[in-house]
Amino acid sequence: MHHVLMDRWSQGSSPLHSRDPRAKILALLVFLIVLATTAPDAFPALAIDALVLVAGILIAGLPPGSLLLRAMAVLPFSLTFGLISWLAGDRLRAMGLVEKSYLSTVAVLLIVGTTPLPLLLSGLEALGVPRLLVLVAQFLYRYLFVVSEQAQHLRLAGACRQGTESRWRLGFRAGAGALAVLFARSYYRAEGIHRAMMARAFSGKFALLRRLQFGMADGLFTVVISAFLIVVRIQ
Amino acid sequence: MHIPDNFLSTPVWAALDAVAIPAVGLMVKRAGRELEDTSIPLLGVMGAFVFAAQMINFPVGIGTSGHLVGGALLAFTLGAAPATIVMTAIIAIQAFVFQDGGVLALGANVFNMAVAGVLAGYLPFWMWAERRPKPAIFIGAFLSVMVSGSLALGELLVSGVAMPRPLILVSMALFAMSALIEGAITISVMQAIQKLNPGLVQKPKPEVSNRRVLVVLSGVALALGLVGFLWASSAPDGIERLGLQLGLAARTSFHAPFADYAAGHFDSAWLRRATAGLTGLLVVYAACVAFARMIGRRRSA
Repeated sequence: MHHVLMDRWSQGSSPLHSRDPRAKILALLVFLIVLATTAPDAFPALAIDALVLVAGILIAGLPPGSLLLRAMAVLPFSLTFGLISWLAGDRLRAMGLVEKSYLSTVAVLLIVGTTPLPLLLSGLEALGVPRLLVLVAQFLYRYLFVVSEQAQHLRLAGACRQGTESRWRLGFRAGAGALAVLFARSYYRAEGIHRAMMARAFSGKFALLRRLQFGMADGLFTVVISAFLIVVRIQ
Repeated sequence: MHIPDNFLSTPVWAALDAVAIPAVGLMVKRAGRELEDTSIPLLGVMGAFVFAAQMINFPVGIGTSGHLVGGALLAFTLGAAPATIVMTAIIAIQAFVFQDGGVLALGANVFNMAVAGVLAGYLPFWMWAERRPKPAIFIGAFLSVMVSGSLALGELLVSGVAMPRPLILVSMALFAMSALIEGAITISVMQAIQKLNPGLVQKPKPEVSNRRVLVVLSGVALALGLVGFLWASSAPDGIERLGLQLGLAARTSFHAPFADYAAGHFDSAWLRRATAGLTGLLVVYAACVAFARMIGRRRSA
């Protein structure tokens, strides 16, 4: 499954993996903003941005093919809108939509693929995202695949009993029942989780195995990347 | 409805980021006051539930199926402020982990679905849940999807993404259809939950006075959705006019091959538009059905 792959990628130990999550988030934001303000036909600048991403992928030791393939998830959407813009005579925008949305997706994948999600979220918290939101996102990610698996069991059970070619009303009622069961189970699961957390003296914050440390190298990384990107953009 | 990066123009995404951040901050503050700490895992697991709920398909017609979007259901069961937080977390995870929606466009997506969508859905529920629960739930769920869809469409148009009018009408019709489906699903799921355990469905508490802020905000969200809707349905003329006024229109040119699509026999402009929209909708629908059939055949073969 998707997440398993990403989790495996993010466990590496390359120079990019070991940067502080805050440094990577800031560099990502600079990259995305620079890209968003670059003209769609400024090909040298776009090529340099793309080279920065390729260099990042190689340094991080991520499999380039499968990362670039995964980033194509955005293409159906952007190709459709690109085609519409092209037909409407706005060729510049059409090109921009496709190439820039693809590069943005690759950039996000590069950062998420080199940062375990708990670290990424604590980086976001350190940058000022409210703790409640970060905690909710952490729980969400933790239980996402558990609840999804339950949903798949429910779907399978439903298919076994009514077949796949269902009648309208029957199918609707069955779906609603399945969702209600899933809802109630999630509710009770949350209660159990809370009891378990209390039993283990939850202090209102997830403990990280290693503390976030924004060192020299991290500062240098952010400043150099940002400066380089901005210079390329202005030239 | 998840807008990727680089679809919105810089002023649009920047403005929406600037709006969404304090809005979510306000909701976090409200939720922090209302919730006990039992609720933190509850909110997270409910987010996972909404994700997983997309796997359960609901048959809605010949060969097609819909699924729950969930913003309204969360608002009805958890309350508006917690629902906003859960939806924000969902949208953020979708953007970072699943590449569904952009990072710079996070503000826009959060504003459309987590803030405006949830609040617009909560308003009718808050007003009518006591007296007429069924219509309240249906209208709430309908509005939550409709408002987010119209806002997303309006933002794309304001950004100057050229869309010929038939396409706009078709997408509005598709939004309306999925909003109706959302209403039907939400109502039957709410009933099923109530049958299972009535304690799981929160009744809104009208006696709490500081809910007024929420109601006012919901009204604003609804009005914004309406503006987006009207704007989209009067586009591109309306957008071009505004663009000219703002001096942004230099880039937007609407020389669509669809330009005189409505060369029909009808005199009334409204009828013509409606017919064009309906025809487009039918074509898209037929294509979807054919596609689904094809996939179904391949799978069972």
